[in-house]
Amino acid sequence: MDVGESPGLDLNARGASRRSFLRWCAAASGALTPAVARGLRGAPEALAQVAPKRGGTLRVGFYIEAATMDPHLSGSKIDRQVYHNLYDPLLVLDVKLGLQPGLAESWTQPDGKTLVFKLQRGVKFHDGTDFNAEVAKFNFNRMRTDPKSVRKGETANIESVDVVDSHTIRLNLRRPDASLLAALTDRAGMMVSPKVVQERGPDLERNARGAGTGPFEFVEWVKDDHILLKRNDNYWNKQTGPYLDQIRYRPIPDDTVKLASLQSGEIDVMDYVQPRDVAAVKADKKVVVVDVPSLAQFAYVMNHTKPPFNNKALRQAVISALDIDQIVKGVWLGVGVPSNGPIPPSSWAYDSTIPTEKRDLVKVKAKLAEGGQPSGFTFSVTTNNLPILVQEAEVMQAQLAEAGITMKIKLVDAAALLSDGNNKNHEMISYQWSGRPDPDGNTFQFFKTGLPLNWSGISNPKIDALLDKSREVSDRNERKKIFSDLTRLLHEEASMAFIVHPIEPKAFSPRVQGYEPIPDGMMRFKSVWLK
Amino acid sequence: MGRFLLGRLIAVIPVLVLVTAGVFLLIHLTPGDPIDAMMAESVDPGVKAELSRQLGLDQPIHVQYLRWMGRLLHGDLGRSIRNGQPVVEDVGRRIRPSLELALLAMLIALLVAFPLGMLSAARRNTPVDGTGTAFALIGICMPNFLIALLLIFLFGVTLRWLPVSGYTDPLEDPVNGLRSLALPAITLGLALGAVITRTLRSSLLEALSEDYVRTARAKGVSESVILSRHALKNGLIPVITVLGLQLGGLIGGAVITEYVFALPGVGRLVVDAVFARDYPLVQGVVLLIAVGFIVTNLAVDLVYGWLDPRIRYR
Amino acid sequence: MASGRLALAGAAVTLIAVVVALAAQALAPHNPLKQNLSNTLASPSRTHLLGTDNVGRDVLSRVIWGTRISLVAGFVSVALAALAGSLIGLFAGYRGGRVDGLAMRLMDALLSFPPLVLALALGAVLGADLSGVLIALGVVYTPTFARLMRGQVLTIRGREYIEAARALGASGGAIAWRHVLPNAATPIVVQASLSVAFAILAEASLSFLGLGVQPPEASWGSMINAGRGYLRQAPWVVFGPGAALFVTVLGLNFLGDAVRDALDPKLRV
Repeated sequence: MDVGESPGLDLNARGASRRSFLRWCAAASGALTPAVARGLRGAPEALAQVAPKRGGTLRVGFYIEAATMDPHLSGSKIDRQVYHNLYDPLLVLDVKLGLQPGLAESWTQPDGKTLVFKLQRGVKFHDGTDFNAEVAKFNFNRMRTDPKSVRKGETANIESVDVVDSHTIRLNLRRPDASLLAALTDRAGMMVSPKVVQERGPDLERNARGAGTGPFEFVEWVKDDHILLKRNDNYWNKQTGPYLDQIRYRPIPDDTVKLASLQSGEIDVMDYVQPRDVAAVKADKKVVVVDVPSLAQFAYVMNHTKPPFNNKALRQAVISALDIDQIVKGVWLGVGVPSNGPIPPSSWAYDSTIPTEKRDLVKVKAKLAEGGQPSGFTFSVTTNNLPILVQEAEVMQAQLAEAGITMKIKLVDAAALLSDGNNKNHEMISYQWSGRPDPDGNTFQFFKTGLPLNWSGISNPKIDALLDKSREVSDRNERKKIFSDLTRLLHEEASMAFIVHPIEPKAFSPRVQGYEPIPDGMMRFKSVWLK
Repeated sequence: MGRFLLGRLIAVIPVLVLVTAGVFLLIHLTPGDPIDAMMAESVDPGVKAELSRQLGLDQPIHVQYLRWMGRLLHGDLGRSIRNGQPVVEDVGRRIRPSLELALLAMLIALLVAFPLGMLSAARRNTPVDGTGTAFALIGICMPNFLIALLLIFLFGVTLRWLPVSGYTDPLEDPVNGLRSLALPAITLGLALGAVITRTLRSSLLEALSEDYVRTARAKGVSESVILSRHALKNGLIPVITVLGLQLGGLIGGAVITEYVFALPGVGRLVVDAVFARDYPLVQGVVLLIAVGFIVTNLAVDLVYGWLDPRIRYR
Repeated sequence: MASGRLALAGAAVTLIAVVVALAAQALAPHNPLKQNLSNTLASPSRTHLLGTDNVGRDVLSRVIWGTRISLVAGFVSVALAALAGSLIGLFAGYRGGRVDGLAMRLMDALLSFPPLVLALALGAVLGADLSGVLIALGVVYTPTFARLMRGQVLTIRGREYIEAARALGASGGAIAWRHVLPNAATPIVVQASLSVAFAILAEASLSFLGLGVQPPEASWGSMINAGRGYLRQAPWVVFGPGAALFVTVLGLNFLGDAVRDALDPKLRV
């Protein structure tokens, strides 16, 4: 078809944009063959009949302010959204969560404990420094040894890094780690300019000028007001962008106001549409919604280390008293699927044969008796004071009450929640994990004995063994089986009430074109352009 | 006057010491700690211990307090835990939007309150008075965030007259700046206007019952002249007091408005800091707000004393 | 007189609110906690006069039951503040000297603390439930009452009948109780009646920041806060409690004005 000549693409801007949007969505949900999907990344012209336009400022609304501009010191989810446009990781994810070349052009694994990366040539940081093997080594060492580095956990398995030649590095691992490659698609694989680190020191956290290699460069950050990025005209991979002149991120804490901003045209992109707004937003012709299946896992963790939930039967009673389908339908309004374990449906390791927990009031009675509390018992759940979580807790409270179990709700703010979780100062606590592309990221640190994020205090040698094995084995089918076994064991231990794998709907102005929804929820704007 | 001022200034010091102790104690008592909050997704006990040590958080609490006070006496308010920036800089950047918002809100409040207050006083106990009072009361009978949301939906989304969120500096871009502050200023101004209306009304009524007014009336001066020239002069005093107090309170108190409209002001800064348990930032900002409040109070007292010679020395 | 009518209206509203709070059980048409996930956000109808909320509970019943909590929030926090403040002010004013100085410096410190931050932090320390909010609000309002009481004490102390009583040999405590307190009570009562309305509103603001009654209980403030995300699709969820809040606070304001006008016409805010 000739570009721009198709009768289907007429002057009705809204219709056209919606259609090309829907094409991207179809691609995202895997409706196209893998070949075409791979082709998508490299040659959008094949599908979009309108050529991308350069220029314009994309205004993005987020729910919270970023914390730091240094990817090695970052511990919060929102930072990552900016990083994926500012920095490049060694590997990148595609729409099917597959691993694609990033700053690493190719990689090999000569044996289980060695990874060799061939790095892209001709890449420069925004400050002009060359990217090469020495730089990569510097970055890995920083992640492993800097006292404030938050990437120590992810890079713990790297024993040493060797520079093989100017554009080849070798990672020597302590133990085989099949999850490491996926970790390198995010912060643990992001490369920062050594010159900036050395010259600017801690100021990098606020000022990332010149620090990255990404499609956009850092301009300024006015706290609680905006973060401004501008196009990197010297980007090393100009195949599909960048097209936008600038990106402007704005934190808008109230999500009603955020939606109103989108609807009144003050922002072009919204990072998350609340389930309660999804129906209205989808009906709004001035806005386009993209359902992005996420890697996230929302659940409730029960504390094994103290009463009442040191008693397995009582844990099982609670789980059997909950009606997860009703929660997903009534609270999440279908913007998500009932969860059967820590691994989300968008992951290759997802096992649809493992059933979700179903409500069973008869079983509840039996388990209550078994647990020595035949007439029910009382416990408290610590949860975040977010409207949807409050609603979820209230529904759970009613469900449990019907089964004779009294649940008290204790609302706390985020800092107190994290503290209570880390210190195991709770009976049941709400847990929302944003998810990682490798199933290891959704499991290891939460279920292995003694790790800090193991909020339940679960300690099961069989689970520990499976977790270790999942890293040693590299064959995907084998790993998938291991994770399935793990999930079944988790159901048996009943330490967590798995509730939902949410979908993260994102909303756009119809002017926004070329958005590629990757299931990790990160918004990468390289291929995006404005009509 | 000089002795009065000096006396007041000296009296301020113990108050500030109490404020420092109070805010320090309070924020350190809240459950949760800043490092957990910062490292939400990647808890590493080694890193946590190191950060704790670096930030001095592993010291006993009285040591931390003394250290902070020591630095304070050198004029150093410390650095924010989250981003390492000096507290003074953080606050300095945020004062402008808060101040602009407060002044604009006061302007709107006065524009509303003066006609309403004078009318109500002039037509005391008539339906006009009742309606005026009720109308003014709307501002203080609805929660702030509700007023804000209603204004957003009406003027921002439906009519699209004004931007819904975000901040543009009126000093740099007057038109867009004022537009961005309009809705938040109206939200705050309604509440403030209600308070001022009532204050003005009652102080005008009191002034109107004074002897010199009766004399003026007897001399045949018209009612409106009496109201605007004689009564108003004296009726202004309590209004100024209230305005001063409110201004001091508005700077740190417009939290909800700043939050809803996504304005980068001081109120939002301090609340976010509380949520993040950013101890130095909370302590520093609260102290600065307290100082601002006290200074404004002092200024009001001085103006008060200057306007009404009867109450100069207490 | 119009002011008389307003005062009457205020008194009536307050009375109705108190009655509703006390008789909630009898007045509420439905169980305020009963959820119905297949009938959420239903618009007002004959069975649900104010519609249902996001988990299918009857809004009217929740508003009725919420009266109790909102009124408690208002009255109890002000009572705490008035009590604490009066004691402090009485003590300070009577003793004078350094005790007075210290007490007033403490009150000044409290007053210059940004109130929302104070309440937020106190709530986080005391626990975010209703009792935490009551204490937090009580602390925030205490200085006002303390100052008021102290001012009254200082004025009354110099009066002749006090001198007379002392000359007759009455003890300090007896004088305070029998002579000072009754005369100082007036402005306290006036201030209290005005503060209740503010306290109820403050509770609503605090629930916005996450403090207050814990679910599934609800105050008007927490209902408005929980419902604000549904303002466009189901406005009755917000306007039900919002109207109740507005009318009650308005009525309390009129009542407070009337109390002030009645007890001391010379006294102005």
